[in-house]
Amino acid sequence: MVARKPIFAHKEDANAREALTLYEAKQYKKALKLVDQNLKKNLSHAESLALKGCCNYQLGHKSEAENYILRALKNGSTNYLVNHLAGIYYRNVENYPEAAIWYKAAVDNGSHNTPILRDLALLQLQTRDYKNLRECRQKYLESQPGFRANWTALAVSHHLNKDFDAAVSTLDKIEGIIKEHLQEQDMYEHSECVLYKISIIFETGNVARALEELEAKSDEIRDRLSFLEMKANFLLLLGKQKEASLIYRQLLQRNPDQASYYQSLEIALGTSNEAPEIRLKLYDKLSSFYPRADPPKILPLSFLPASHPEFKKRAADYVLTQLKRGVPAAFVNIKPFYNDHHKASVILSIVQEFFENEINNFPPPVFVWANYFLAQHYLYVNQLDKALCYIDTALEHTPTLVELYILKARIVKHSGDFIEASHIMQKGRSLDLQDRFINSKATKYLFRANKVEEAIDCVSLFTKNDDDAANGLGDLQVMQSNWTLVESAEGYSRLYYEQCALAKQEGIESEKSTETMDLAEIYLGLALKRFMSVLKVFQVYENDQFDYHSYCMRVGTTRDYIEMVKWEDKLHSTPIYVRAIRGFTKLLQEVRVELLNSETDETVSKEKKKRNVKKIKQINVKKKNEVMARVQPSPKDEDPLGQKALNEFREANKLLSQLESLVKQLSLEAANYLFTWDLAYDFYKHEKKYVLALQALRSWSKIVDPQNKKLRVVGNRVLDLQSAVEQDGSVNVAIAKVVQKGLESAFPELSEGQENLLSVYSH
Amino acid sequence: MGITIRRATIRDVQAMQNANLLNLPENYQLKYYMYHILSWPQTSFVATTYDVDEPEDESSEKDVVDQLAEVNLAGFTTVDSAEIDPKGDSAYINKGEKIVGYVLGKMEDDPDAEDKIPHGHITSLAVMRTYRRMGLAEKLMKQLLYAMCEVFKARYVSLHVRKSNRAALHLYRDSLTFEVTSIEKCYYQDDEDAYAMKKVFKLEEMLPYHGHSEVDDLTTDLI
Repeated sequence: MVARKPIFAHKEDANAREALTLYEAKQYKKALKLVDQNLKKNLSHAESLALKGCCNYQLGHKSEAENYILRALKNGSTNYLVNHLAGIYYRNVENYPEAAIWYKAAVDNGSHNTPILRDLALLQLQTRDYKNLRECRQKYLESQPGFRANWTALAVSHHLNKDFDAAVSTLDKIEGIIKEHLQEQDMYEHSECVLYKISIIFETGNVARALEELEAKSDEIRDRLSFLEMKANFLLLLGKQKEASLIYRQLLQRNPDQASYYQSLEIALGTSNEAPEIRLKLYDKLSSFYPRADPPKILPLSFLPASHPEFKKRAADYVLTQLKRGVPAAFVNIKPFYNDHHKASVILSIVQEFFENEINNFPPPVFVWANYFLAQHYLYVNQLDKALCYIDTALEHTPTLVELYILKARIVKHSGDFIEASHIMQKGRSLDLQDRFINSKATKYLFRANKVEEAIDCVSLFTKNDDDAANGLGDLQVMQSNWTLVESAEGYSRLYYEQCALAKQEGIESEKSTETMDLAEIYLGLALKRFMSVLKVFQVYENDQFDYHSYCMRVGTTRDYIEMVKWEDKLHSTPIYVRAIRGFTKLLQEVRVELLNSETDETVSKEKKKRNVKKIKQINVKKKNEVMARVQPSPKDEDPLGQKALNEFREANKLLSQLESLVKQLSLEAANYLFTWDLAYDFYKHEKKYVLALQALRSWSKIVDPQNKKLRVVGNRVLDLQSAVEQDGSVNVAIAKVVQKGLESAFPELSEGQENLLSVYSH
Repeated sequence: MGITIRRATIRDVQAMQNANLLNLPENYQLKYYMYHILSWPQTSFVATTYDVDEPEDESSEKDVVDQLAEVNLAGFTTVDSAEIDPKGDSAYINKGEKIVGYVLGKMEDDPDAEDKIPHGHITSLAVMRTYRRMGLAEKLMKQLLYAMCEVFKARYVSLHVRKSNRAALHLYRDSLTFEVTSIEKCYYQDDEDAYAMKKVFKLEEMLPYHGHSEVDDLTTDLI
């Protein structure tokens, strides 16, 4: 940091400056000592307070740190040094929006420290403040024009603002400047930057210019695969089919297992709509060049009709080759053609005929794999008895083959017997204790059988377990094993509902039900805790991008950097995450219903409520300790059973703010999920935010009924919202009108009355 | 399901991490996968399923979780979103697109490394057990080796393999002609020894069908 003129002079400032130097040299204890001296004399010395906050953070006194930062800002909110320190603090605790505010303030309040500009840019990227990013990158480039990375970074900021021309001209400019100075070690970065520029030109829609540039720079491009893929695509778009086809043939020479090349080659050759015989000739030719490649063998099965004599021949060749080789995925590979039931019956007959007539000519394993195939077939068509029969035959023949147990367990799972299914999977696991795949399967099936703790013990055989940890859960969290976290959360949720149902049966007042409810309480807390650990993992994923805002500019991998930014923008649409939120919010709704009931239920006296609450807080100590010993991933965990979290959610504000932030997050990032709009609708209706509920309803209906077939469920929900507004005595008249108008414009049948709406929305 | 082999992208990292956690004892945080993709985007590959035909019918595998979700809290009949939304399985990156294998490769980037000539290293390779015996591991490796050599001018590549992992040893030594350079004692966390292996590159021999009798001459019409 650059030394500055004293603001209000004196010893304190000199001391603070010295402390700052010590802080920058990572001598936090010494810095703190000086700062404390200052604060003894002047309690509100802002710079000292800010430094104290930062030192505290570095020395591990994390809970005290923020308080000093806040006090510093109160006393010196326009002091750029204080601003900068606050920015540093918030960046350290990964509160990027807040950090961005204070870095910006430091710049605005006159700091001439140029690295602040670079740091601010990274925060602007993290918070997607593209508008201000550009200016910041521009200014920083002006101060440090000698580094290519700074030019690349400016170009990226133009690109993110969709100012393609500015991005391209920035990249052109630096290319021109650097031309004569490139060394061998710069060539990879250069190649990536050139390809980045061409991809932006392509994005503007000027394909001809993109192709021209690509060919002109061919010698400078190291990534030949991208070069060829781009070139082929550009040629195709420019109508140069013949040339494009030659490039796709080159690409196939490199990677004949890339299925999309075959499809593109066909487009280039114009054969996509030709007769099957012609296309077959093409694939046969390619197959002779690439005999071990899968696509030229499997793709013809999709365009040959089931009735074509070649279909049976080709399908037989495909399936039987794999059966004879003992490929476990033989059925899965051919399964897509089951969409066409004629093809499905041809495939079945191929395997059956082979099974009946030829099987004896082959070594015994082929018999086993054929049975395995047929069992999968019958599982697929849901004839579980037959499926079991075939898999049992296979098992009788070879009881040591793990794959057979995996399939049998799956069949039994489909019959609904989760316990038996998990036993079978365990048997399979016992045959190959070194294999983590079968361990994972066995773990999953234990979870599904609601044996959550056994499941954790099973998966822990492959985790790094710290000496003081009861099991591998801690490692699974650190290693971000989302599937385990979600499965365990769902397992605990099921156990929770099971206990609730049991308590209902037992009657509310009985001694026994208290015990049952205690257990339900424990499971609820654990389920919430596990779901929240998935949220934490995704928070880490989100923060992970931070370092790459600068790293990729230096390395030059900007094409993939841009992809990363887009991917992070939709991070919360990851299926496993949405699944976790589905389970999590369902439990939160339970807590909310419980809260509402206790609020409105006047028959419950205050006294009794108090007693209930007390009971909740001290669930049967013995049981609690028992469970705790088994689930606690580390003794350092302050809330091993999730009870603290649960009780926090019982304070309505926390629960609502959690729900609201999830609703907002999914609405932005996972708009393609029906669940998102289910959740948003329920939340906003409940919160009496009817205009937002209306918007959620409209998004929901577009997914549920994309062809506008006027489904009854849509009609029902329209009426649900209408009546919610009507019955709400406190609603603002103007809002009610807006909602009614909005409903009528989206669903015009409503203006003729509810009956009319339902008569149209009747499907 | 057909299987396609292609370069890995940032969109694949979560599913790659998932495949790693399901299959292998050595695990990494997501940031390490990101580091590979964003440092050497050309040296990691995935094997994924793809829809050969129309979208696959996924209703055959109905989860318990989905059934639970049918209880609607608002109290009226509605559609169960779990039936319509993408399946909550971390192996999928798109509908019908499931990652069944991957190879993660890097260039030597340790400034303290002894050998200064450019060379690569295989960080991790996995193929789901249910997709074995289809040659996927070998196909993934061949793509990676070619790219390392071509893009980064790597002169050789090295890797470690568990002493007990005979299938992997067979792949590297016999199919891909790696050589064992040394045995590293207690290389793995569970104290198992590792073979350190190495392969020196000759680019012209690296194409997957190098030496095959029938070669596309890129001039004759295909049909």
